[in-house]
This record gives sequence, C-alpha cells and structure tokens, in this order.
Amino acid sequence: MSKTYYLFNPGRLSRKDNTLKFTPIDADGNESPPKYIPVEDVSQFYVFGNLDANSALFTFLGKQNVAVHFFDYYEHYTGSFMPKDYLLAGKMQVEQTRAYLRKSARLELARTFVEGGANNMLRNLRYYHNRQRDLDLPLTAIENHISQIPLATDVAALMGTEGNIRQNYYAAFDNIINGFEMGNRTKQPPSNEVNALISLGNMLCYTACLDQIYHTQLNPTISFLHEPGTRRYSLALDIAEVFKPILVDRLVFSVLNKKQLQAKDFDINLNRCILKPHARQAFVKAWDEKLRETIQHRSLGRSVSYKHLIKLECYKLAKHILRIEPYKPFKAWW
Amino acid sequence: MYIVLVYDVGEKRVGKMLKLCRQYLNWIQNSVFEGEISEVKLKELKAKASLIMDQDTDSLIIFKSREQRWLDKEVIGLTKNDTDHFL
Repeated sequence: MSKTYYLFNPGRLSRKDNTLKFTPIDADGNESPPKYIPVEDVSQFYVFGNLDANSALFTFLGKQNVAVHFFDYYEHYTGSFMPKDYLLAGKMQVEQTRAYLRKSARLELARTFVEGGANNMLRNLRYYHNRQRDLDLPLTAIENHISQIPLATDVAALMGTEGNIRQNYYAAFDNIINGFEMGNRTKQPPSNEVNALISLGNMLCYTACLDQIYHTQLNPTISFLHEPGTRRYSLALDIAEVFKPILVDRLVFSVLNKKQLQAKDFDINLNRCILKPHARQAFVKAWDEKLRETIQHRSLGRSVSYKHLIKLECYKLAKHILRIEPYKPFKAWW
Repeated sequence: MYIVLVYDVGEKRVGKMLKLCRQYLNWIQNSVFEGEISEVKLKELKAKASLIMDQDTDSLIIFKSREQRWLDKEVIGLTKNDTDHFL
C-alpha cells in the first residue's frame, strides 16, 4: 500500500537517483540533512509548507503517477498537480456527459447525492441524540427537508433543500461539541475554531475524493449536483457531499470532545481563526488515520478502509452511468 | 508486507545498491532499509539487486513481516532516520 506524504516543513523536493529527495529548509534558509523518500511507496503529496521544486521533478512525478495537492498558508486548497490521465475511456466520457445533459438523469443523480449526505448527517445526530444530547429539533427539521428531496423539480431547488438541511445540521453542532461555540458556518475566512476545523477537513475530504476519482475512469470535471464550472474538479464536490458527515464531521467532534485540540491550539485575530502549525499537523495526522481505518463492508463481506470506500463509491457511480446498476449512495449504518 | 533489508556488498557496488534501495524503501542505517512493499515490487527490487551484486562475494538479506505492527523495533542510541510520512 503506497502512502500519502504530508509536507509541513518548507523545503526543496527534487529528483535524485530516480527517487525523491526532500531537503527541509528553516526560516533562516539553512538546510537540514536531506531525507530520501522511496518513490515506489508514494501515492501522493499534500503540501502545506513552502515547496521548492523544478519541472524535472514534476516530469518525474508525472511518470510515477504521483499527484501533488497544494494548500496555502490559511489551509485553503489552492490546486493540484495531476499526472496525465492514465485510465482513458471514451465510452465512459460520452455516457457521463450524456447523463449530465439529460435533465431527468442529472436530477436523479443529484438527488441521490443529497440524500446520501443527509442520511449520513442524520446518523451523526442520532448517535449523539442517543447519548443524551437534546437534538429533537434539528432531527425533525432535517427529516422534514429530506421528505422534500423527491419533490424538487430542478437542481437549483435541490441545492436549496441541501442548504436548509445543512443549516439545521450545523445548528446542532453547538449541542454536540463541548466547550466550543460554532454559531453560523463561516468560511473564507473561518471565524472560529469549529469552522476552521470543518474548512480544513472539507478540503482534505475533497482532495481525497479527487484522488480516488483519478484512479477510476470517471471525468472529474463533469458533475451532477454541483454545476460543472471551469477550472475545478466539481465531481469531487459531489462525492465529498456523501462522505463529509462520516469522515470530516465525526473527526471534528472527536478531536474537540477528546480535547486532542484545545483553544490554545488556535490563532484568533481580527475575524479569522486558523490552526497553529502543530495543531494543523495533529489534525491532518488524525485525518490520515481515519482514512486508513477499516469497516466491515456489508455487501462485499470483507473489511475496507474509508479511503477505499470512496473509490467504491466512484465505481458505483460509473456503473450507474453505464447503466449497469443504479447508484445508491453510501449510507452509514452505525 | 513489511520488510527489513540489509546488504553487504563490495565497496564498488555500495553506491549503486544504496540508490536502488532508496527507490523502494526507507533508509534507516548504513546498508539497512525498512518499509512497506508489495509482493511484485519486492520481486522487482530483488531482480534489480541481483544484477548489481556479485553473487560470489556479496549478500543481501531480507526479513519479512506481514505488517509493521507485527514487528517490534527498538533503537538504542541515535535514530539516524525515522520513517515518518509527515515531514
């Protein structure tokens, strides 16, 4: 199993002896001893610090099928270096586009994404409801909105319903997380600790989905729920919709409630809140462990990691598009 | 599978061996490597290594373990290189 490497220290990544060499550089420009990364064991890089690199490196990474995802100082996702597609399939592409163009087909898929996401949100709330948190209000509100999903006549209306569900869902967070107030969901920039964590987590989830899509024949730019725009991989947003509640939100609850991250781990100035570097590293580490956590898959009858679960979701979507089997979003049952 | 690889090769071939192993595994000490590797990649590594080696004088030993957690590692003194993937 190849690994994801996370680069937090600023430094220079270069090609050396047909493998990768990372030379960390500190604030004064002094180099630390280089570290060699076995290229055969790398699946992708997440770059949080400053990275020096040249085109020779990217050519090499492209050949080795290694993607690089970049995040800026405020943990915003800036973009990815993706090696050229290696799983090309014209038929898939044509069918995917057709599914987007046919209004009913697109709406049907968009619905399932929203449904899947909403169902997993309900799961989270019910879990805490059973643990003596009073979540009756958001639960009934969300159930109400879910019943509206089949009635939506276009994708815009569906997005509206999705927004309502999410609003009720986030409103319940204050009741779930001990010692932190979330208030409204704010991004760019996030205004408090919970928002900052959700932003970072969503970004990680989005790139994880993008990475799994890359390993299937789906085209990441043609999406169904989100409008396919320019310069973004919107299909990853669609799939992330299903997984954000299971992966990101649960992780946020657990790191805050278990006090793995505390108020002192955040930097709040003016109206923005960001994680301190060590806290960011801790959260990303927790995220990496989460992705490698396994569950017993019901229909496959074997244990699969969350990371692989995302890929299975892509396969299911591909099957739907090729009209082999209708797509059912992944629904957590625990 | 998780492996520990050690080699003892003639001075002339040490550099080549080091460079080869770095592509697949994490360097932890002079002529000692460890890391996660797949069945196929190990085969590839062994094939490449035997091209470098002089079979009469050099040796290469591989310790295999099913997973990293079935392997206890104890370091006394200086850790020359840890195998973390958070850099």
